Amino acid sequence: MTNMNVVGKRVLRQDAFEKVVGGKGFPVNVRLPGMLHGKLLRSPYPHARIVRMDTARAEQMPGVKAVITPADVPQIPYNPIFFMPVTSAGLVRDMLILSDTVRFAGQPVAAIAAISAAIAEQALQMIEVDYEELPAVFDPDEATRDGAPEIHAGVKNNISDTPSFAIGDIEAGFREADHIFEGTYETPRVHTCYMEPRVCVADTDTNGHITIYSSIQHLFGLRERMAYALGLSVSQVKVVQPPYIGGGFGSKLDMVYAEPLAALLSARTRRPVRIKHTRYEDFITNARHPMKVYLKTGIRKDGTFCARYARTQCDTSAYASQGPVVIMVHAHYGLMLGYRSPHLKWEGKVVLTNNIPGGAFRGYGAPQACFAVESQIDEICEELGFDPIEFRLKNTPRRGDPHPFNPEWKLDTYALDECLARGAERIGWSQRARAGSSSSTKKRGIGMAAHPLWVSGCVGFPDIYEHSGAIIKLNVDGTANLSSATMDIGSGQNTVLCQIAAEELGLADGAVLMSPGSTDTLPFDAPTHASRGTYSSGNAVKVAAAAAKKRLLEVAAVIMEANADDLEVCNGVITVKGSPARSMSVADVVKRAESPYMVIGEQGPAPTVLEEKGTIMGLSSLAPSTNPSPAVAEFVEVEVDTETGQVKVLRAVYAHDLGRVINPAAAEGQVEGGLQQGIGFALMENMLFDPESGACLTSDFLDYKMPTAVEMPRHIESIFIESNEPSGPFGAKSLAEACLIVPAPAIANAIYNATGARIRSLPITPEKILKALGKL
Amino acid sequence: MALSRLKKFCIPENSHQVDDCVAEYGDNALILAGGTFIRGLEVRGLLSEVEALIDVHKLGMDGLVSGVGNVRIGAMVTFAALEQLAELHSAAWLAAVRDALACPPLQIRNMATVGGCLAASCPFYDLPTAFLALDGSVTVSGAGAQREIGLADLFVSLFENSLEPGELITELTLPRPPGRSASAFIKLEGTANDLAIVNVAVSISVDAAGVCEEARVVLGGGVGDRVVRSATAETVLKGQQLTHEVIEHAAAAVGQDIEPMADHRATAAYRLAMAGVFTKRALNQALSRLN
Ligand SMILES: Cc1cc2nc3c(=O)[nH]c(=O)nc-3n(C[C@H](O)[C@H](O)[C@H](O)COP(=O)(O)OP(=O)(O)OC[C@H]3O[C@@H](n4cnc5c(N)ncnc54)[C@H](O)[C@@H]3O)c2cc1C
Repeated sequence: MTNMNVVGKRVLRQDAFEKVVGGKGFPVNVRLPGMLHGKLLRSPYPHARIVRMDTARAEQMPGVKAVITPADVPQIPYNPIFFMPVTSAGLVRDMLILSDTVRFAGQPVAAIAAISAAIAEQALQMIEVDYEELPAVFDPDEATRDGAPEIHAGVKNNISDTPSFAIGDIEAGFREADHIFEGTYETPRVHTCYMEPRVCVADTDTNGHITIYSSIQHLFGLRERMAYALGLSVSQVKVVQPPYIGGGFGSKLDMVYAEPLAALLSARTRRPVRIKHTRYEDFITNARHPMKVYLKTGIRKDGTFCARYARTQCDTSAYASQGPVVIMVHAHYGLMLGYRSPHLKWEGKVVLTNNIPGGAFRGYGAPQACFAVESQIDEICEELGFDPIEFRLKNTPRRGDPHPFNPEWKLDTYALDECLARGAERIGWSQRARAGSSSSTKKRGIGMAAHPLWVSGCVGFPDIYEHSGAIIKLNVDGTANLSSATMDIGSGQNTVLCQIAAEELGLADGAVLMSPGSTDTLPFDAPTHASRGTYSSGNAVKVAAAAAKKRLLEVAAVIMEANADDLEVCNGVITVKGSPARSMSVADVVKRAESPYMVIGEQGPAPTVLEEKGTIMGLSSLAPSTNPSPAVAEFVEVEVDTETGQVKVLRAVYAHDLGRVINPAAAEGQVEGGLQQGIGFALMENMLFDPESGACLTSDFLDYKMPTAVEMPRHIESIFIESNEPSGPFGAKSLAEACLIVPAPAIANAIYNATGARIRSLPITPEKILKALGKL
Repeated sequence: MALSRLKKFCIPENSHQVDDCVAEYGDNALILAGGTFIRGLEVRGLLSEVEALIDVHKLGMDGLVSGVGNVRIGAMVTFAALEQLAELHSAAWLAAVRDALACPPLQIRNMATVGGCLAASCPFYDLPTAFLALDGSVTVSGAGAQREIGLADLFVSLFENSLEPGELITELTLPRPPGRSASAFIKLEGTANDLAIVNVAVSISVDAAGVCEEARVVLGGGVGDRVVRSATAETVLKGQQLTHEVIEHAAAAVGQDIEPMADHRATAAYRLAMAGVFTKRALNQALSRLN
């Protein structure tokens, strides 16, 4: 794995300049000739039945081209999430594009297309709707009580799902314990706050086929759901791939009302229709599931776990949507798998309420779990006097162990021990003071959290798509085009994939360019989620590149009268191994392959060789063979102002055994972005709702506070522990999500170390700290 | 709808043209300076009555003068331009303005004007708190007449000022304080992009023996429907040596003059407690600048 030319380099992002000057590739910048603008009328009530709707005045307004109500919409119940087959038995299909019953404040009830967004917006006010208000419930505890309002017919006590699992005998486990710790840990509803709004443009052709441009993380997922909910077959829907989107972080992993509605408005008007969310509409579209985790842990004197019990209540909100899936990832990869215990038991409850829908968000249930687990471990170590690092190592898997999720997989490149050791050294862990020992007003503290086991994609997960595909095509100038339906959601993934292709093909940095396609032309791809981009899509790209290279060398062998096995290619030049004088550029080989059979030379027409002919390309479509887990640890230093309760994160050191760093700059970007979201989750972010009406009070960034550059620590260190993961491209496994899983508990533990105040509900606001210190 | 009734966008070059536009549209004409506050109203759909915008950037009003007895700042001076005032970076008495100017985001500093931030009469802004602590007053002109208004009388309540229709703020005057003087401003915010939860500006003048001759303690943020002067705290300070105890005492006194509110960013109890903490810190900061 030495001698790599492109992999491991800080290659500049291909789209960096274009984005800085306005990003014409963003879906929000798509404009089609004759395009209309759509707006959605949204219910002011959290739970209501529509009794009457009159659209006559709206339809008569000049400039209005179409109005759509529930009566105009196929009543096919669907589940909006992209990454599972739409008919999966694991999904609850309880949503309609437009329904007579609304279950959260802000649910769309009608849609309008007009010649301008302003006219469409004005016309919304002309639609008369009479609602019969129904009783609503927002608190998940209340929603599950007998006599609570029924949100979906037949769902008793609004409990959508009660998954559970157990290993061993939990009661016996607690009997063995020398110490038992318990606590309840709560996390709020937070939004990803991607920069580009949800936006789509749908166009219908004369055959009724729909073409759609949308800011999403999964082309094929949108195609499948659009077709299903509209009663079409998938080939009637074409999703065009944008070159990039303005952030996703999980929020763009489900179909929103706007997408099928834009298609229906377009079908009515025979014109393209664009619908763009306002920031407020984005806020109420989906958010991280608030969870309440009760965690009880039994420990032996030697510091090993003997029993771990957890109970999770997940507010999945008005529709089941991601809830039943997110809670399973939360339980396995969030709560239970990372630490060994002979006896364990978990019970989950997915609760329906009249809140805005829950959605995917980087870490998918794990940040909520990690906050509980890592806070409690800190409590245990504090009380029993264990060193938090040694304690964790006593209870976590070791390199070479079978994977706890699937014993057929081995943790061959697993390095939590190194993450902990190197992170501890960099933060100065050994100099850490005792909790609350400082006497000054501004107190410093150091804290850490680990996440011993995370995923690289979804191989092994029930009913979750995981294959990727790629097409690589060589050009006569010695460059290559790479096409794949995987979406770059802002991480720099496309640049990383091009680096992988260039390395495999033996081309120079920058010689491979990403070329967007559509669901009509590209092989299927699972979405960009589950920390799978580099690992899974990277694998597919490498296989396609290897196929193209094989053909390249076959053609070169014919031309150079050599054996293909004796050829090698590096930096765009093909040479016979051991005889550097016998060489030919990739460009010349491709030119010959693409040239006519009879070539006119100085001596007149002369035949070439038929076996050389044909575009040199490579294809792939495959799933990885396994799912290697990375381990991570994060160490932070904070300063708490004990007069105001304000917390400053001064330093952060993040360590991750990611296999191979393909692009260090992109990898550091993941760590820093994850930290920023993690600081927000830990200290300030929280969506607010009117307790009476359920209306979302968070409408823009005046209301929703997330960390700015000023709140970021001046010192952030990324430690990447490299190895060679055999199943990953050039040894890589995953990075993305873990960067946001660990910061919140690390910060909470650092606040404890600084002040002695333990806060078990996020966000840890200044007021919570002052209250805990008895100062408010 | 935002600005859906807009009929006219005037760019007057003299005060008569302002008067003409105001005469035609009356209450439905709105002065436009940097536009940063107005833009916020627009996106929230709060400008539905406005029929005319009067963009005043061609009227001058952009002087910046360090005079003998005062500093005069034209209404159209942007925050970024104000930062260029040399004296701001050396004079202890002006330090509160320097502190407050560091708060708004850079993009806002490039656009927002001194006149706009005062006319908006928003207690959640930072500069007005500092200007009131420095005993600022504005020159106002309209319908051919001109008058002076102290800032305490300019701010009537939230988003309401005491200007008559058609009256323009042309200049802000900050009088030079006597003797040894210093000021300071501090803000409590959720993030660097937040408006003040609470902010405090103080200005103190001491005699040769270190006895406090003048003190102004001003609080903003969610502590009242306008920026508030704490007369009680000022009384505690005046005539005293500014010892630790006196400062603690003054800080504790501000609670008597404010009415903290609760909102999604802070409870009233927290604002009350922080008003005290920040007053203490601002006073200590000003004190440290005296020497
Ligand atoms: C994102 C953001 C962050 C901010 N952060 C801060 C901060 O940290 N600290 C802070 O102090 N402020 C902050 N502000 C507020 C900012 O200071 C004000 O928006 C700004 O001062 C308003 O000035 P302007 O020139 O843009 O006024 P405009 O928006 O043009 O006008 C404001 C009001 O004053 C009237 N007006 C303007 N000029 C005159 C005049 N000469 N005579 C009479 N009436 C006039 C207008 O009719 C309007 O009603 C922030 C604003 C935004 C949008």
